Amino acid sequence: MGDGKQARNEAFQSFMVGRWPRLMRTAFLLTGEQHAAEDLVQSTLERVYVSWRRVGAADDPEAYVRRVMINLHARKHRRRLKEFLAPKDDSGLVHEIADAGDRIAQADDRGALLKALAQLPVRQREAVVLRYWEDLTETQAAEAMGCSVGTVKSNAAKGIAKLRAIPGLAETVTHGGRK
Amino acid sequence: MSADRESHDMNGMTDMTHTDIALLLADAADEAEIGIAPVQAVIRGGRRRRARRWAVAAATTLVLAGSTGVTLAVTGLPGHTDRNAAVAAEPSTPEARHVYVPQVTEVARGTDHGKSWRVVVSVWGAPRDASEAAVQLAAMRRYGIESAALPDHRHLVGMTSYYSGLYYGDNPLRTIIFNTVKKWEPETGMSLMSGALPLGRANSDGPERLVVGAVAITARQVRCGWKDGTSTVVEPQAVAGSPVEWFACTAPEGTAYQSAEVIQ
Repeated sequence: MGDGKQARNEAFQSFMVGRWPRLMRTAFLLTGEQHAAEDLVQSTLERVYVSWRRVGAADDPEAYVRRVMINLHARKHRRRLKEFLAPKDDSGLVHEIADAGDRIAQADDRGALLKALAQLPVRQREAVVLRYWEDLTETQAAEAMGCSVGTVKSNAAKGIAKLRAIPGLAETVTHGGRK
Repeated sequence: MSADRESHDMNGMTDMTHTDIALLLADAADEAEIGIAPVQAVIRGGRRRRARRWAVAAATTLVLAGSTGVTLAVTGLPGHTDRNAAVAAEPSTPEARHVYVPQVTEVARGTDHGKSWRVVVSVWGAPRDASEAAVQLAAMRRYGIESAALPDHRHLVGMTSYYSGLYYGDNPLRTIIFNTVKKWEPETGMSLMSGALPLGRANSDGPERLVVGAVAITARQVRCGWKDGTSTVVEPQAVAGSPVEWFACTAPEGTAYQSAEVIQ
C-alpha cells in the first residue's frame, strides 16, 4: 500500500517538474499575468494530483491536464473577467512601430501581444493559445475546451482576425517576424 | 476598420500567418518567469482537495484534513432514523445561534508521551448575512482554525460549520474533520465516518494512532481495529449542536489504525 502510494507520488512529482515550464507558459498566455498564471497552474496540478491514480495511468495525461486548466480558466473568467485580465496600463506601446532586432522593441511587441490576447474574449483566447501555442489539432483543442471542433475553428479564426488588426504586431510580422 | 487598414490587409501587410502567430506567442510566452515547480505545495493542496472531494462523494458532511495518513471510512447499512437536523424556532440573535462563539464539546482526552491531548468538536451556527459571516470568520481564526480549513466566506451565509480538532500538548489546534453545510445530515443505522491521523504535534508523520469519527445517535458502541490485531471499543457521545454522535479512540503505542465500525 505504502509502496504504491509512494511510487504514485514520485510519478506525479516527476510529471509536475517536467511539465511545469510549459504549463506556466500556457497559463501565462491565457491569463496575461505572472501570479495569475502561477495560481492557475498550481490549482490545475492540485486537481490533477487528486486524480493522479487514474490520470497517471491514462494514455494521455496531458490531455486531462489541459482540460482541467482550460476549465479552471474559463470558470474564473465567468466570475470576474474584467478584473482578471484588465491591462495594467495604457502606455501606447501598441502603436509604436518597432525596429526589428531591437530587444526593447521586442519586449514592446510582447506586451502588445499579451495586451491584445487579454482583450480577446476568453474562448477565443483559449482557442488561439491551444491551437497556435500548444500546437494542438482542432480535435484536441475541442477536447480541452469541452466544445465542438466547429466552435474551436470559429473561435480561433475570430481571435486571429482580431490579433491581425493590431498595428504593432502586424508590422512586426511584416518585417519578418521573430527569430 | 479604417480604409487604410483595409488596404493594408489587401496588400498582405498584415497577413499574419499561423506560423507568425505561433512565433509571436512563443516569444510572449517567454515572458513568463518559470521558477521552481512548487511540488510540495501542490501535493499539500491536492490532499486537502482530495479530502473535500471525498466528503462530497460520500454525501456526508465530512471533510478530513491532516497529514499524509488521513484516511476516511464510510461504511454501513442504509439504516433509518427519524432524527431530524432541523432546529425548531431558531433564536434570533447571532450570539444565541452560536454564530460567533461555537458550541464546543470535548470528545476525548488523554496523555501521550507525557503530553496531554484533547479532541474537541466545535459547532458554529449559520450566519444570516454577510456581516455576520465576516464576524464569524474572524472568530474562527481567533479560535485557532488554520486558514486552509476556514470556509469560503462567500458561501458562509446560511451554512453551519463544524470542526473536530486535536489539541496536543501546547500545540495549536489541529483540525481533523470539518465541513460547512447547509443542512447537516444525521448519520443513520450503522454508518460511520472517521478520520485517522498521527497522534502528535501538527504535521507529524507518525503512525495513525488517533481515530475520530461520527456515527448515528442510535449507535451505542464503536470498535476501532488496530494493525496489530487488537481493538478498542468506545461509546460515542453527543456533541452540542450536532445531529450525530462523535467518538475518538487511540491505538496503543507501536500500532496504528486499521478499521472502525459500529458494533452496536
